[in-house]
Amino acid sequence: MTAQRGVTLALVASIVASMVLIGLYLAGGNPQLEGIGLAIALGGLGAAIVIWANALLDNRVEAEERHTLASSAEQRSIAREALDPEQISRRRFLVRLLAGAGGVLTAALVLPAFSLGPQPGSDLFRTAWRRGIRVVDTNNRPVRPSSLPLDSVTTVFPEGFVGRPDSQTLLIKVRPADLELPDGRGAWAPDGCIAYSKVCTHAGCPVGLYRAREHQLLCPCHQSTFDVLRGAPPVFGPAARPLPQLPMELDAQGNLVALGDFPEPIGPGFWDMTHPPPAES
Amino acid sequence: MAAGLDRLNGPAIMSGPMPRLSALALVLAGTLLAFVPIALAAPGGSAGPRPTNDPPTLDRGNPATGQQVFAARCASCHGSDGTGTVNGPSLLGVGAAAADFELRTGRMPSSGAPGSQAVRKPPAFNDATIEDLVAYVSSLGPGPAIPSPRVDPATVSAGQQLFIGNCAPCHGATANGGAVGGGALAPPLDQATPVEVAEALLIGPGQMPVFSGLSDSDRNAIVSYVDFLQAADHPGGFSIGGIGPVPEGFVAWVLGLGLLLVIIVLIAHDWRREAR
Amino acid sequence: MLGWIDDRLGTASWARSGLRKIFPDHWSFLIGEVALFCLVVLVLTGVFLTLFYVPDATEVTYAGPWQPLQGQQVSAAFNSVMRLSFEVRAGLVMRQIHHWAALVFVAAIAAHLLRVFLTGAFRKPREINWLVGIGLLLLALAMGITGYSLPDDLLSGTGLRVIYSVVIAIPFIGPYLAFLVFGGEFPTAEIVSRLFVFHVMLLPALLIGGVLIHLAILWRQKHSQYAIPGATEHNVVGRSFWPTQVFKSTGLAILTAAVLALMGGLVQINPIWAYGPFDATTVSAPAQPDWYVGWLDGALRLFPPIEFTVLGITIPSPFIPGILLPGIAFGIMSVWPFLEARVRHDTAEHQLLDGPRGNPMRTAFGVAGLLVFVVLTLAGGNDVLAIVFGVPVEAMTEILRVAIVVVPLLGFGITYRICAELRRTRGHPMERAPAVRLRRTDDGGFEEIGPE
Repeated sequence: MTAQRGVTLALVASIVASMVLIGLYLAGGNPQLEGIGLAIALGGLGAAIVIWANALLDNRVEAEERHTLASSAEQRSIAREALDPEQISRRRFLVRLLAGAGGVLTAALVLPAFSLGPQPGSDLFRTAWRRGIRVVDTNNRPVRPSSLPLDSVTTVFPEGFVGRPDSQTLLIKVRPADLELPDGRGAWAPDGCIAYSKVCTHAGCPVGLYRAREHQLLCPCHQSTFDVLRGAPPVFGPAARPLPQLPMELDAQGNLVALGDFPEPIGPGFWDMTHPPPAES
Repeated sequence: MAAGLDRLNGPAIMSGPMPRLSALALVLAGTLLAFVPIALAAPGGSAGPRPTNDPPTLDRGNPATGQQVFAARCASCHGSDGTGTVNGPSLLGVGAAAADFELRTGRMPSSGAPGSQAVRKPPAFNDATIEDLVAYVSSLGPGPAIPSPRVDPATVSAGQQLFIGNCAPCHGATANGGAVGGGALAPPLDQATPVEVAEALLIGPGQMPVFSGLSDSDRNAIVSYVDFLQAADHPGGFSIGGIGPVPEGFVAWVLGLGLLLVIIVLIAHDWRREAR
Repeated sequence: MLGWIDDRLGTASWARSGLRKIFPDHWSFLIGEVALFCLVVLVLTGVFLTLFYVPDATEVTYAGPWQPLQGQQVSAAFNSVMRLSFEVRAGLVMRQIHHWAALVFVAAIAAHLLRVFLTGAFRKPREINWLVGIGLLLLALAMGITGYSLPDDLLSGTGLRVIYSVVIAIPFIGPYLAFLVFGGEFPTAEIVSRLFVFHVMLLPALLIGGVLIHLAILWRQKHSQYAIPGATEHNVVGRSFWPTQVFKSTGLAILTAAVLALMGGLVQINPIWAYGPFDATTVSAPAQPDWYVGWLDGALRLFPPIEFTVLGITIPSPFIPGILLPGIAFGIMSVWPFLEARVRHDTAEHQLLDGPRGNPMRTAFGVAGLLVFVVLTLAGGNDVLAIVFGVPVEAMTEILRVAIVVVPLLGFGITYRICAELRRTRGHPMERAPAVRLRRTDDGGFEEIGPE
């Protein structure tokens, strides 16, 4: 096939495809047909130009000289003379004062950037959990141990704060005899109901996967795995700290209530996490 | 220097590869063939035939017949009285739902090593035998009965919210399955019938947590959403596994940049030299 | 017509030098152009998308045709992308072309960077353009991340959470910086509109400005060339800008758009209707960012759980893989031209390119660096790979932890040997291996003459 014919064929295909595209759009459109139509319309045009370039143009290989990029010494000295930096740099005191003024002004002008966000304050240290707040499910209904099936996992929140991200908590029902919690933490898990922060201590993704048979929580982002029966220490993956455990007890009606906030900051670490601010009343 | 250029303008030695068009065609074909492993490697898609929504009839099996089949096919792992052995757990109190789920999805009898994850495969028994076995196992102790879920399109939206909150972390937002660590796989749900979905929620098979605390309406909503996902088409084209950026990146390199590399080799190639 | 313009701008004199300017012809010099034309497609489709996108996190009720989300509260941003996908004619194909173009854009930049590195094109006088190029790569990554986070869906929101956590991990300034950028503790309503400003205004300005500088420097310095017959350090051998190169490049631009259009129509990408709106209390697995951030995610997955507190200052585990590692990687890339010049005592100008084998040490380092990047990118999908290969996720992770050390070392060694061998024998990989040549001696025997 000659190049001329190739170019003609490609352009005709392109024209037909473009017209089909117009009709397609007027008729309501369909992503797959639009994509194919566009591909042929563009492809035909592009192929035509490439065939033209490669087969119908005079494509002689030629050479061109490279001139030295650097200017000559004479040109450089002319430039230096025109710039005459010494007339300015001679006034050393004024130059330094100018630099100082520029620096301080820049610092001042940068300040409005701090309006972009609040100080972290104690936000990273606290959630909405408080002593006496009831544990509720996503429908804001209080939870009692008897309503939780064995080997179930439920996402819970402090009452009145359903959906609050830093307070999201996993409530897991296990056999009380299976628990091997650190000292004192056993009292935080009445009737085999154990609660951990759902925010991964590695990079903050919700730890949504629960392997019920092995009692292990897995975070899907980077595969940190936590042992539910032993206080959620990490047993695999890049997380270095256990999921904080929520201290709970049963109230008079048999609902689960929190004994207080998590004992450690939830979620990923930060530089001063070992220095919590003074507790507020 | 002019002599050097003459060599480039006429038939001459080239330094650098001289691609034959046939070689390029091979590259192009290979690029498109690369689609095949993508399609095969994805852990299940939703392009398979839809399962029939055919609820098993309850309380129709014969426990005595079931016991005979049990003794022959199940007792070696689960014990002659169903109380379990080192190879298999006790079935006392697992209920009809568990027996029906495992048998109907072909997970049981398991073909893997004891303790390994049981996977869906063609059922080993026909419907009548399954009903007998279910009747026998449920006679071993009280447990969850076979549910009768209702697929209701009006609940698909509620089901989506429940699915994203409870199921997507393991099964994926598109229900195409995923690895959950420890060698376990949350399977794709493209073949799960509404009854099977409801049963799984009740019993928490294998590593799956138990979701029997969900209300009936919540369970029906999830069942309806899974049913929707099985029938839903992909408005954007090939779903390439439906598991997100991993196959997308693969396609971008192999199909996108691959095609473009072939194109630029063709554009820069000296066509006239080859024709001479 | 041209006379009318020339009367006012004196353009004909530019035509003389510009139109006949010589550019070397080799397919590997077109990779950068592929990236450029992907950018053109991105801008054109991007303008269309911007006209429909609503950068607002305020909740609205979804009332569109996608049944599972009907009646749900979603952000206005998410809602606008849903509407664009399902209720705007040609909306979905434009969105998908845009996203595929982004993935191919960064792939082309990576391939172009590899070509420039392996041929030593970064040497004097092109160090400035190398640095500009690294800057463009960073801008492209930033464009991608800000872009795919705009729909405010479950998958990209999870990615933002990880970015926020990595920033928090920076000692002293981490929490302040994260709260500044996001406007408070994650998740915030402000971040969507701020990402929009970066993605649509600030970053494109920098990116396009950088591209123009990149091209201007290239034009001024003339393109480098391979050592083909007739090429020297003091000339450019190739074909003229007009009409040859303009035709070829224009054809390539349109064909690039054609490939992206084909992908945009036929292959689904980022189905946000399946992921649903972002919800900070749940997650979908598998969870990955777009491929070009996969190396960072892979580093986070592979890095062991090392976290320590020294003098009361905690260094959280994401800090080293998330901040230090990319800093070191980009730092090494940036100073490489100066490092290599110092090590080789090479202050000369280079217009002729090395083939990859021309500098076995550089090529070996390049391949090793590439392999580090490849293993990290694969690690970003370790849970998917675990399914593909039928191994537990934990085993896949351990394999990759070994691979990240072993594979680049092996690659370095093997590459060096191959390059050194090819240089020695002077054979080209696509030609037949040079045969042994014999000559009859005077006394009737045979002696071997070396390969030509």
